[in-house]
Amino acid sequence: MSERILEISNLRTYFFTEAGVVKALDGMSLEVYKGQAVGLVGESGSGKSVTAQSVLRIVPRPGRIVDGSIRFDGEDLLSKSEGDMRKLRGPKMAIVFQDPTTSLNPVYTVEKQLTDILTLHKDLTKEEASKRALALLERVGIPEPEQRLKAYPHELSGGMKQRIAIARALSCEPVLLFADEPTTNLDVTIQAQVLELLKQLQKELNMTMIMITHDMGIIADMTERVTVLYAGKVMEVADTVTLFKSPKHPYTEALMKAVPSVKQTRALEVIPGNIPNLIEPPVGCVFHPRCKYAKDVCMKQEPALEKVTEGHYAACHFWRELKLEGRA
Amino acid sequence: MASLIRYVIRRLLFMIPVFLGVAILTFVVGNAAGNPIALIRAGLRNPSPQVIAALTHYYHLDQPEWERFLWWLWNLLHGDLGVSVSGRPVASQIGPWTWTTLELQILALLFSVVIGIPVGVYSAKHQYSKSDYAITTVAIFGYSMPTFWLGIILIVIFSLDLGWLPSSGAVSVSYLWGGNIYVDQLAHLVLPTIVLTYVELATIVRLVRANMLEVMRQDYILAARASGLSERTVTYRYALRNAISPVITIIGLGFGAALGGAPALETTFSWPGLGYAFTVAALTLDIPLALGITVVITVMVLIANLITDLTYAVVDPRVTVD
Amino acid sequence: MSAERSKRGASQWAVAWRRFRRNKSGLVGSSIVVFFVLVAVFGPFLSPYPARSYLPLYEGDAGTSPSFKHPFGVEDSGIDVFSETIQSTKNDLYVGLAATIITTLIGVAVGALAGYFKGIVSDVLLGVTQIFFVIPVLLLILLFARVFATFVFHGWGLTLIVLILAFFGWSSIAFIVRGETLKLKEMEFIQAARSLGAGSYRLLFRHIVPNILSPVIVVATLNIAGFILTEVVVSFLGFGDANTSTWGLLLNEGFPFVRTSWWVSVFPGLAVVFCVLGFNLMGDGLSDALNPRLRE
Repeated sequence: MSERILEISNLRTYFFTEAGVVKALDGMSLEVYKGQAVGLVGESGSGKSVTAQSVLRIVPRPGRIVDGSIRFDGEDLLSKSEGDMRKLRGPKMAIVFQDPTTSLNPVYTVEKQLTDILTLHKDLTKEEASKRALALLERVGIPEPEQRLKAYPHELSGGMKQRIAIARALSCEPVLLFADEPTTNLDVTIQAQVLELLKQLQKELNMTMIMITHDMGIIADMTERVTVLYAGKVMEVADTVTLFKSPKHPYTEALMKAVPSVKQTRALEVIPGNIPNLIEPPVGCVFHPRCKYAKDVCMKQEPALEKVTEGHYAACHFWRELKLEGRA
Repeated sequence: MASLIRYVIRRLLFMIPVFLGVAILTFVVGNAAGNPIALIRAGLRNPSPQVIAALTHYYHLDQPEWERFLWWLWNLLHGDLGVSVSGRPVASQIGPWTWTTLELQILALLFSVVIGIPVGVYSAKHQYSKSDYAITTVAIFGYSMPTFWLGIILIVIFSLDLGWLPSSGAVSVSYLWGGNIYVDQLAHLVLPTIVLTYVELATIVRLVRANMLEVMRQDYILAARASGLSERTVTYRYALRNAISPVITIIGLGFGAALGGAPALETTFSWPGLGYAFTVAALTLDIPLALGITVVITVMVLIANLITDLTYAVVDPRVTVD
Repeated sequence: MSAERSKRGASQWAVAWRRFRRNKSGLVGSSIVVFFVLVAVFGPFLSPYPARSYLPLYEGDAGTSPSFKHPFGVEDSGIDVFSETIQSTKNDLYVGLAATIITTLIGVAVGALAGYFKGIVSDVLLGVTQIFFVIPVLLLILLFARVFATFVFHGWGLTLIVLILAFFGWSSIAFIVRGETLKLKEMEFIQAARSLGAGSYRLLFRHIVPNILSPVIVVATLNIAGFILTEVVVSFLGFGDANTSTWGLLLNEGFPFVRTSWWVSVFPGLAVVFCVLGFNLMGDGLSDALNPRLRE
């Protein structure tokens, strides 16, 4: 059994804005083992991206980690100095961001953006770094890489930019990779290619990959274990197969019902309502305003994350009683 | 490279209609009373018959209006700016004035950029802090006041009350400062430069701050941090490089505006540059001189804009693509 | 709590208004502007002396420094600076507002047409806008003011200045409007309107123009500040109307006597600074309110 590479415990990351304190992550926990492909799923605003930012400790202002602990490879990340964290960013952990148009610097060539990172973390000369960059582009499947190296981001297509963003994230061979909605902004046909690329690279490099997405289809395709996040809290954790077969949280069920399938004959069920106000989240179970099974106790008491079976946890008062529909 | 050259050519071609526009406007003004001579007569000076003859020839007053305009354009393109009411050729007077004006403008521009950009960056990085509020407030006052008025205030305080610095001209008749003409010139430069620098600084600080705040919000800054790049690299090489482009434009335009605003500042300090000369010429209706200076300043503004455009293109290559 | 929030108005103007109320600098700026408007409206009735009055001279007070009787002092010619500053308020505001209204109308028209249509018309409009943007306007304004005041438009007073300022000052709004129009043109609600049978002019005026109001309001407010500053410069240099009280005129009269009567230069200048500051702060507040950037 491989060791735990990442252990997040009761993490609270708040944003101190003019409108109030936004509780983006409010007691979130996560355990990832080395080499696993893990999913972090939820709607926009559930705190998925903030998790990745918190682990790398690049949460943008006015956000701050206020409580909890993050252990990476046995080390406590929250007590590290900024200088030490910088040594980890790139060589140990990296993020692929959602929108390649905004995650690549518009005024530098592809080559410059890659070599900047390579020369920083590895002791390479400019020429060696350029050669490495070229090799990286080839690895992510970019045709005519020599020309692409000299290009500026605005001269490239969306799919190509995202491949370059992946190349950038992998340039120092990190142990842990966060893929934050990497295909959401791409055409459907390109999506499949990029996902396939990520799968391959993960296996090749024996990387631990945390796939952040709102798309249950991607979860099914790419991950072995899933954490369901809502309003900054964990709703359910399970192996992917188990989650799909027998979900124990109403939110998970609702997420799966909202994904269409070809075999489907019934109408799509939309989850009513919107994500809650994170400045003043609902009292009790944070999902209760939109939950069709909600009862009195749900409005008063926040459910704890309870063990369903080995490796399967759910935060719902009624997980034992509810017969929820999964998707096989 | 090719797109850069095409871009430069496009900007050069643009200068032509601008020049034409100014030629038209100055022609209209000059002939508002029918012909320029009548205008001049209404002013406070009485030109001698030789001057009148020279100007009649220069403005081709015996020709119909259309042709007069074309001759005006022709003269301008050949650098022939005619003869001022005093009889001296306009073009020969402009040289020394130009240097005097540029001296002040370029100095102020340099100071305001060198001070303004770091201050703006600092302010953005420490948003909401006390120093940020202080800087922003000082900056807002800076571009809310008439430049020349600040000059007057400083004159009152430093020159009249305290007697530390001279209040007018570029050089004193008697070298007040120990007989060294360079120190004397420097002493005269101090107040006007401070005034102009402060006002230009205010705009630059505000703009840099606003752009940096915008850029620092972007994903590629987060990605740069996620790759472990140092804070200094992220701030200056990644963020500032992106934030600077609009600032460059504004600096260029600001230089043009400052040149155009030279009349008030120079008049306040009796600074013998193009602005002061223009004010006197326009007030006394020395039309050839006034129009000549307008054209020269326009050319200077155009050159400043061209330099700005080129710098912009080097910093942000996206702009060369049409 | 969420239900209560949704009862309040959700139109973009209501949202913007709420944001504006929370913006400190915007509120300070608006208060200053309101103050000056009140001075402009009620000041002439409350000011100790009428406009351009030399009465203090006959009272033996010419050239006196600030005192209880003459809070801002008296000019050497006998004009009371305090009264004159008050009387000038309405004229300076008039110049700022009138020039802004005219330039906004011209700028929106030119910008929208230049942005919406393609081809020769749009190119020419863009070119003209660029020309007016680049030329050194102050010089031409001064020339036009001097020449036309003397020869063509005798006795038009400040209105001539307003027209000249407007003639040279519309290009910044035109640029912004053109930029916004270009962006909006591609948006889907325009395609939708067109698919429902809307023609070009209907699209322009019913759909595009209402959507560009936000940036236009911000720039227009800032322009008021700019035009007031320009008027001050024009009058200070002696190109304005010597018969109408303006702050610039006061500064012009005070400058030759700055050694002995510094109050004539300082106080009107302070009035200008605060008035312009007010509009600038208000413009900033509006900009924040109308362009949400915070992720709420």
